[in-house]
Amino acid sequence: MIIQRISRVLSNFDNILPVFAAACAAMSVFVLLSLPLPYSEDQLYPKQIVPGSTLNPYDRGGPPFTQVSIHSQYPENSPTAGYVTAYLTPLSLFISEHTAYMGTTIVAHPGGILDEILYNTRGLDTVVEPTILFVAFAIAAYIFRKREA
Amino acid sequence: MNEIGGAPLFFLEFGDIVIYFTPFTLTLFILALVFTVFVLVSRPERQIDIAFGGDAYYAKEISLSELRFRRFMSIACGLACMGAMVTGDVFDFTLFVSLVGICNVGIVAAVKSRHVQNAAYQYGLVALAGTVPMFSAAAMIAATTGTLSMLELAKGMILIPVAAKALLVLGVMGEGMAPFYAAKAEMFRAPGAPYVIMCSLSSLLIFLRVAEVILLL
Amino acid sequence: MWNEYSIGLAAAFACALIGFLALVWERDDLHKLLLIDLVETASLAVIALIGTDLSEALILPGLVVGIAELLALSQIYLTKEGYQHHPVTRLNIEVMMRSPAPVIISAILVVYGIILSGFTGGGIAGLGIVFLLMSRSFSGDFHALEMASGISWALWVAAFFVFMFAPQWWYMALMGAAIGILLKVIAKMSLVGAMWGEPE
Repeated sequence: MIIQRISRVLSNFDNILPVFAAACAAMSVFVLLSLPLPYSEDQLYPKQIVPGSTLNPYDRGGPPFTQVSIHSQYPENSPTAGYVTAYLTPLSLFISEHTAYMGTTIVAHPGGILDEILYNTRGLDTVVEPTILFVAFAIAAYIFRKREA
Repeated sequence: MNEIGGAPLFFLEFGDIVIYFTPFTLTLFILALVFTVFVLVSRPERQIDIAFGGDAYYAKEISLSELRFRRFMSIACGLACMGAMVTGDVFDFTLFVSLVGICNVGIVAAVKSRHVQNAAYQYGLVALAGTVPMFSAAAMIAATTGTLSMLELAKGMILIPVAAKALLVLGVMGEGMAPFYAAKAEMFRAPGAPYVIMCSLSSLLIFLRVAEVILLL
Repeated sequence: MWNEYSIGLAAAFACALIGFLALVWERDDLHKLLLIDLVETASLAVIALIGTDLSEALILPGLVVGIAELLALSQIYLTKEGYQHHPVTRLNIEVMMRSPAPVIISAILVVYGIILSGFTGGGIAGLGIVFLLMSRSFSGDFHALEMASGISWALWVAAFFVFMFAPQWWYMALMGAAIGILLKVIAKMSLVGAMWGEPE
């Protein structure tokens, strides 16, 4: 009888989301109960703040076209890791030499530690991510066009 | 290392993300590959409605654009499955699984019927909600162990919190929920057999793979 | 021991708990979508709690997945509910319809975005195009935009393979990826702008 009732609730697909949300809520409670968790001090790509640098908080050292050492998982797989980190476009080099605020806009320009991770050492993640975006836009564009037709 | 799926046969290094093939993951990979090829070459079935009490029947037509779109989605789903089967990085795995989830939504959502669209919408909401526990799990693994690579985690040196593993399973359940709920019956009313089968197959594969990942960690 | 990380996790999961509980009771389909978008923020908070450069790099894919699915689902929602009529088609301001000002502003934004390049640059250039589409009527030809989007995707994948298999050409790969993301963000934002409304 109970199974019958459960199956009746689940057979209505309007109930899928509330059931899943309830499971997620229960899991959140479980996570809260399992706290505190330890934090590993030996992290990949640790964040460094260099006080006084115009590239703060993204200054990872080195003039452009030199290799800086970064703490990646498998350094032997990315022999040139570190070049992108140190690279600055001519425009960003100019800004960093003349103002103290380059760090606030550095992520807009090619080069830097985030581009190193996103394009080079964890490049596959970033290939999957535009693929998800591509598929989602394909769905949206297809449905949009079909509705207008 | 802890070898659940057998000893790794070979590695494919993409920087920090190492793709590895064990007998287990290789089998799943080939299965996904074969089904993707099937989808590529097969033609969709056409549903026949029979009018009761007479000889009349009519076939539902599937427009060319719908066919192409659904085939594209199924192939993308197959490729995402292949990626999820062999990737050796926890965060990369979660990304591939979310790609599988959104492709499944796309396969179903292309159908014009209002009823099917509603089922696709409800499933899409679950898939979107499923990304929350999945990404949280990957982030918690990274923070507590300091690495995301399954090969490093499989060495068993560091204890991974049970909560993170449970979150990962819950998230994958959300993404691969489509065929397990009664929404299945509603979705399968959608014409076009081989493409809908891809939904079922992909969730079966990601469930098999997540079981391996959990045992490995 | 209650370290800073655990306190942060407690806050993030408390937020997630509230969001999920709201989802359990919510019956309206549109509100469900909005609530899930809210809960996504909690998962971004959990990623941010790693607190390294890696976490900043992981937030981007996490955010993009949420936005992408939100866009696809909102289109499905519109079809599901059978909404056909778009009362708002463009910014109905006479000056903007006639004068060349929107073109000039858009051109400035696009040029500035291309100079900035990368993700932010794509956002700014895309905003310029969206602004132009909003102020003028748009004839609804997506093929050019979709092609640009496809090309940028291919460029990105090509850059990835250069990084992996010919790392000595990292500079070329960096520029390829930067141009790819610029094109991608411009194309996607323009697509969103074009979907916003269409001429009567």
